[in-house]
Amino acid sequence: MATTTVQTHDWRAQAANQTRLAYGQALLEVAARDPKAVVLSADTQDLLGIRPYIARYPERFVEVGIAEQNAIGIASGLATTGLHAYVCGYAPFISARSMEQVRNDVAYAHQRVVIGAAASGISLGVSGGTHHALEDLALMRSLPHMTVIVPADVDEAYQATLATLDIDGPVYIRLGGRVEEPPVADPTAAPFRLGQATRLREGSDVTVIACGCMVEMAVRASRTLASESIGVRVLNMHTIKPLDREAILQAAAETRGIVTAEEHHLTGGLGGAVAELLAVEHPTRMRLVGMPDDFAVVGPTVPLRAKYGMSAEAIATACRSLLRAA
Amino acid sequence: MTATRAILLKRLEAEALQIRRNVWRALHAAGGGHVGGSVSAADLLAALYFHILHVRPHEPDWPDRDRFVLSKGHANAALAAVLVQAEFIEDALLDRFYGYESPLGMHPDIKVAGVEMSTGGLGHGLSVGTGMALGARIQGKAFRTYVMLGDGELHEGSNWEAAMCAAHYRLSNLTAIIDANKVAQSAHVANLVGIEPLAEKWRAFGWEVREIDGHDMGQIVDALDALPFHAEKPSALIAHTVKGKGVSFAENTYVWHSNTVNDEILARALAELETR
Repeated sequence: MATTTVQTHDWRAQAANQTRLAYGQALLEVAARDPKAVVLSADTQDLLGIRPYIARYPERFVEVGIAEQNAIGIASGLATTGLHAYVCGYAPFISARSMEQVRNDVAYAHQRVVIGAAASGISLGVSGGTHHALEDLALMRSLPHMTVIVPADVDEAYQATLATLDIDGPVYIRLGGRVEEPPVADPTAAPFRLGQATRLREGSDVTVIACGCMVEMAVRASRTLASESIGVRVLNMHTIKPLDREAILQAAAETRGIVTAEEHHLTGGLGGAVAELLAVEHPTRMRLVGMPDDFAVVGPTVPLRAKYGMSAEAIATACRSLLRAA
Repeated sequence: MTATRAILLKRLEAEALQIRRNVWRALHAAGGGHVGGSVSAADLLAALYFHILHVRPHEPDWPDRDRFVLSKGHANAALAAVLVQAEFIEDALLDRFYGYESPLGMHPDIKVAGVEMSTGGLGHGLSVGTGMALGARIQGKAFRTYVMLGDGELHEGSNWEAAMCAAHYRLSNLTAIIDANKVAQSAHVANLVGIEPLAEKWRAFGWEVREIDGHDMGQIVDALDALPFHAEKPSALIAHTVKGKGVSFAENTYVWHSNTVNDEILARALAELETR
């Protein structure tokens, strides 16, 4: 298979740390390396930054319009003919609205379809509850054989998209919206390995397992707690499914408790996945940081996250609380 | 009528009768099931599998094969019957319909040889078929895609997303066949939510439409032989059919959308099929 090195510095400056644009950029390299790759858009050409892809590979692009159910069904049909379909959609619509198509046509029929879901969580804060996707991880990880990835920054989103070249089945990649997310770490430091959590900080008191935009907050919280002599291990659980059981069980055995952190409802997401594992394999004291059982009010994303307890401060508070109880 | 055509029609009618026999037999083995919408499609399926589709029963994954998607997946007994008759799958499987770990359940499973998509949730097949037709175009392949829909199924809005998109891309390699048997699960379609004027709807969505009697083999063959109906449009074939066709007590009633098939009912049904 031919390899093509795509220069990334130009788009990265433009992307301003938005994972949705990293996905679109990575599709150029995917298409260069995989002649069977084909990209679909549901009126999301700018949302996922795929205009360069469309210009270079117009014959391997399908615009389906504002019709997410149809997008997923067509992606499945394309996949049955031997093509590898990459769907671009809004997370709230391409997950919940198309759920039956994702379940039947993609997961049940086991087709090679990658769903790039932008504007997840409350990254479209001012758009209101219709445009928030706070249940998509619960929906997607409940489907058998589905791979679910939540990149923490643009480099991870780029690497995760490339990793789909080796996944012969359905994939959901959860991407952010128009919010600048600080990079988590030196991009060259941690190569993305599907299904293997990345250990970003060492510590023996408590472990924070985070995904997506909450990873950077977890690192900040660990620094705050270090100044209080609390050692925090930070795991970037970029792959929600299949879950890195070993990293979680090891953290449960080696530290005094687990805090999970995600931009998602407290039911059914990363925290739920970790709790399901630990409840059976290694009962462990836990705290879950995420969106409570409510719809968010309208507002800019960053203060909204803080309002609903999705912040570095909230993670640090959860760690202290857990250690006091331990 | 030429002798060749007469022989063809007679052969296809014999296959259609055998599909109906096999549907009743399979659903008797199952204890009951979706008789009505299976036998309404029997003549169309016979013409497709024994006259139209380029498929290789002993090489079911042949990349250049024509695709047939049964979007009205509850008619799986008819699909299974025709796949048996075309020698994709073993005849004995029909006696294990709905059986424990049987490949043949109430709805089609893509893992079965000859089945192109797992269907059953209504309103999925036309999107998938649109993807198949686009896949052919992108890869420069000549295969054609056929999707069979129920008329009641057209209540599902996703069909119309696919209809709009297929016309936009001028997919003349895509055909929708509507098995318009007029009856759904709990009433006639018109008494649930009316779908007429149906032909005008498809035309308005950019499809080239023909209407036929879906039990007249001559009309079926003529229509399928004429595909594509338009060089730059997808084709819609509205086949007017009778739910439960072939057995008087099962015809044109929602009661036989799905019903019990015991020994006595099977005997009566098979006897009627032989006399009509």
